[in-house]
Amino acid sequence: MNEHISLLQMKGITKKFPGVIANDNVSFDVRSGEIHALLGENGAGKSTLMNILYGLYSPDEGEIQFNGEQIQISSPKVAVDSGIGMVHQHFMLIENMTALENVMLGLPQDKPPLLDVQNTRAKFNELVEKYGLEVNPDLPVWQLSVGKQQWVEIIKLLFRDVKLLILDEPTAVLTPAEAHQLFKTLRFLIEEGRSIIFITHKLEEVQEIADRITVLRDGLVVGTVDKEGTTLAQLSTMMVGRSVTLARKTRPSMSKKEPILVIEGLRCKSDRGVEALKSIDLTVHSGEVLGVAGVDGNGQSELAECITGLRQPIKGQIKIKGELVKSVINDPPLLGYVPEDRHKKGLIVDFSITENLVLRTYNDPPLSHWGIIDWGQAQIKSEKLVDEYDVRTPNVLTPIGMLSGGNQQKVVLARETSAQPSLIIGSQPTRGLDLGAVDSLHELLLRERNRGAAVMFISTELSEVMALSDRIIVMFNGEIMGELVGENADLLQIGEMMMGHQLKTISDTGRIS
Amino acid sequence: MGDLFSQFDPFLQASIRMAVPLILAGIGTLYTERTGVLNIGVEGSMLVGTFAGVAGAVVSGNIFFAALCAMLAGGLLSLIFAYLVVNRRGDQLVAGFAINLLALGLTLTLMPYLNANRTRAVLFPVIDTGFLKEIPVLGPMVFNQSIAVWLAFILTPVSAWILYKTSWGLNLRAVGENPKAVATAGLSVIRLRYIGVLLGGLFAGLGGAALALNDLGFFVPNMTLSRGFIVLAALVVGKWNPFSFAGVCLLFGAADALQLRAQTFGSVIPYQFYLMLPYLLTIAALAGLVGKTKAPK
Amino acid sequence: MEEQQQTRNILEHQQGLIDFFIAGSRPIVSILLAFLVSGVFIYLQGKNPLVAYAAVLRGSFGSIVAIGNTCVRTTPLLIGALGMTLGIRGGLFNVGGEGQLYLGAAAATAVGLLPLPVPSWMHILLAIIAGILGGAFWALLPALLRAFRGISEIVVTIMLNFVGIYFVSYLVHEPKLLAQEGASYAQSRTILESAILPILVKGTSMHLGIIIAVILGIILHFVLKYSTFGFRTRMVGANPEASNYAGVKVKYSLLITFLIMGGFYGLMGTVEVLGLKYALYDNFSAGLGYETIAVALLGGANPIGVIFSAFFFGALKAGGNLMQQTVGIPSSMVQVIQALAVLFIVGFGFMRRKSSSYKNDDSARSLDDANKGIGDI
Repeated sequence: MNEHISLLQMKGITKKFPGVIANDNVSFDVRSGEIHALLGENGAGKSTLMNILYGLYSPDEGEIQFNGEQIQISSPKVAVDSGIGMVHQHFMLIENMTALENVMLGLPQDKPPLLDVQNTRAKFNELVEKYGLEVNPDLPVWQLSVGKQQWVEIIKLLFRDVKLLILDEPTAVLTPAEAHQLFKTLRFLIEEGRSIIFITHKLEEVQEIADRITVLRDGLVVGTVDKEGTTLAQLSTMMVGRSVTLARKTRPSMSKKEPILVIEGLRCKSDRGVEALKSIDLTVHSGEVLGVAGVDGNGQSELAECITGLRQPIKGQIKIKGELVKSVINDPPLLGYVPEDRHKKGLIVDFSITENLVLRTYNDPPLSHWGIIDWGQAQIKSEKLVDEYDVRTPNVLTPIGMLSGGNQQKVVLARETSAQPSLIIGSQPTRGLDLGAVDSLHELLLRERNRGAAVMFISTELSEVMALSDRIIVMFNGEIMGELVGENADLLQIGEMMMGHQLKTISDTGRIS
Repeated sequence: MGDLFSQFDPFLQASIRMAVPLILAGIGTLYTERTGVLNIGVEGSMLVGTFAGVAGAVVSGNIFFAALCAMLAGGLLSLIFAYLVVNRRGDQLVAGFAINLLALGLTLTLMPYLNANRTRAVLFPVIDTGFLKEIPVLGPMVFNQSIAVWLAFILTPVSAWILYKTSWGLNLRAVGENPKAVATAGLSVIRLRYIGVLLGGLFAGLGGAALALNDLGFFVPNMTLSRGFIVLAALVVGKWNPFSFAGVCLLFGAADALQLRAQTFGSVIPYQFYLMLPYLLTIAALAGLVGKTKAPK
Repeated sequence: MEEQQQTRNILEHQQGLIDFFIAGSRPIVSILLAFLVSGVFIYLQGKNPLVAYAAVLRGSFGSIVAIGNTCVRTTPLLIGALGMTLGIRGGLFNVGGEGQLYLGAAAATAVGLLPLPVPSWMHILLAIIAGILGGAFWALLPALLRAFRGISEIVVTIMLNFVGIYFVSYLVHEPKLLAQEGASYAQSRTILESAILPILVKGTSMHLGIIIAVILGIILHFVLKYSTFGFRTRMVGANPEASNYAGVKVKYSLLITFLIMGGFYGLMGTVEVLGLKYALYDNFSAGLGYETIAVALLGGANPIGVIFSAFFFGALKAGGNLMQQTVGIPSSMVQVIQALAVLFIVGFGFMRRKSSSYKNDDSARSLDDANKGIGDI
């Protein structure tokens, strides 16, 4: 790899959306046979840049050179024809169709318009053999695990013999073990002379997988560095402009801890009818943060829904402050819930900030009397809350859809915590927020904990769970794999639990079996 | 025995004949819905198709020209819908509803011109299948029908084949399931949706023509009587599969045929209740579907 | 970066508020365009569109009688459209107004035929209550199917329209029920004088119904904006999942909203009988129920807007009659104008799909994206 052949050169790419410059004169290059990481936090412009490369957006300025020739990538078709392929963060698969059908989508057939199933299947199995990506081509995609679905995405690209693969946050949905497997496959692909662009915001990954790293911040290229000789600290400074690792926040130790949330023997089913929770026992005390770690889809959503009364369990009981949970709880001083998809569950996007803030309290005095709502009162209250929770908005009448994700989440938090509830459940509350907003949110949750609330913090971001929690439990396949103390928790142990190994197994044998 | 057959035969034959407009219209609409678009304006396309078909038949005396006129009318209306919904991102329910209203207004306004022309409209010719139509029961039912009916017979399996065995069909089905996946695969979602909507409009027009030109030969105000909506319901009940959809249409055709016959033989039940029959059947079919009928997205 | 985006959103929105008066003109522009296109169409039929439109104007506002006609045409449309508005805000697309108004009219007629020993105002009130209940009754089945089974109300209500029309047709054909014996055109017997809605201006056909309708509109406006019931209903219409979390019983909300809508349509049929026709005629509503949908949509699903929209449609109809008489263009031309107006409004994006409002979404923020037609419909 002494000759540095540039496979791809993006020069001076600028892309503006109304009011914001997503990419500002971005230039970087990718050599053949290298894994090039594109590092930056949410909103830095990484996805935009890659969408331009893949033909989904067109740049306002700049040019792209691929394989020595200048090309205009006007659509994904052009990109694919040129040999560029992309695996998006949210998979572009047709869940009801088989892996084979997904591969055939848009693939030129031998005898159009007939679908050449036989030959395609043969080639599919060839590729599976060659790269060790074990996938059954005839299963509908929804039946495949997330890791295998990603393999289908990669097989799609291999069918088209792409020279440059773009992977957008590929490990977001994988367990640490699956991520390792992915990295192995990627290295295999590199050996064949292909190149990979690896988009991520995770510093540790970059250290492990990348040859070179380009850091983006606020639409600008901060720099391109070799992996050798660059420290994590340097990278994070480049990424954020200040050295930020999610440091564990100092907190007062809480003495009088009474159990607030007590769950015994909880079993419930998911929407698909499969068992989502197998038998859950847990307790959350006042004045502590219980972090729930685990890859998405292992029962965390269902757990939150059962606790808040949105889902009926099959067995077991949930008690909040001694009271059994039977149906949807609408008691602000008792329970506050920050749901995982704020647009779907937490907010009404077309309603104003005020209307969103009174979502749970509109029916009672002092906001309403005899069925008539006092909007004047509501407005005063919401102005106070907006001030208190530092929500940036010109006024409280603005439709909430206009606010940034961080501010929206603050409104949700304001609504859910202003009554000083005994129990707060946060389900992926920092999803899609930039580091600044994540920090604010953590501060707010910690403040609640210090006040004496019991806080359950569900998140797929291990770094957050470790920074925020007093205790950590890990969920896998609807069960709790083990519990750790938050202070100085062992990342390795958590990783093992996320893969399905019980905590006891690890400490007993000292090895992973 | 022969007497029973003589009553039954025409009934079966009529059932099929009355199902045909639904089937023809639905084949196209099936493609529309598979791309994820709900065009309630299919009723309007059928109605203008009926009108244009009769007009074309009267003016030219050529059935193929009439069918062409019908398809063009239906297709044109669906293009308006496609533009509003796919390009301008308008609400599809509102747009579809307005299309129906437009069709109604246009056909009513233009009707005097049609009635002024006294020429008889040419009909879809019956295909002579020789000895085949002499077969008891099956003969008259299947082998003594017009070209439009044969078209429906043929188009049903053909469209199923296209849908499941060709790349065209795969692409169309994919759009309804996950348009983003289709876009990133390098295909044009807009183009595919336009094709889906247009096919819906063209065949709705043809179905409308079959309504008037199979055996009637004239146009009356609001002739389709919400059959377009029955098509939509049949698609749901038939789970967007050409064969089961055609089966459901036959059921409705039978109800329609029954209602006509009931008006001739003296009955204690007032005739209005027979008129209600196809509609009650549709409701029962829809209400009976408890549980997931997974619509294309 | 995010803050920049947010500022942009808000500036746009404020601009939008300023634009509201311009945006409020979008329906007007659409209407004008509709007239323009229809004018061309009229011209192609060999008539002078200006003369035709002048006739429309005269027929709707040219005299006190004309104004009376406008009010009379507006009344049922307004009442129905208000019901439709409530439904749309509450998350329902009830196309069954046609059937529900027939059942309401039948119920009101039945009461109107009864020789009750009560003062006139009470007779009218009872007939109105009967009519409202009749309409609500016809909405019960689709309401249950939608609220508890999640079955779309669109097709079911249209089917029920036909069942309702035929059923009422049976009622006015059968002398043992409502029918007038020996009538040349099937109708019910004439209702008693005590059940007739008083005429407001002598010499015109303007009856009390218009007052009832407008007052209903104002009430609905206040209910939607200031009452807890209205807030709940809007919540369910905007986001049932979030409403569920906020403790709203979504299924019951849908059910109640649907039934009230049916009641509105029942009232619509009632005022036609009690105020205009004084008897129930077979097929008396030539698609009025469907027209209310266009009225509601053009009015932006907002009670005050709907009042204006209904008057517009009413005026068109009153004028359309005169246009047909004087110029010879069929009054169905009016439906063409209505349809075109709605189509233009949709084309202007006034009736935008509810896409993800938060504009930072990768999918929503790209004009490129829109051009590629990506996104759920």
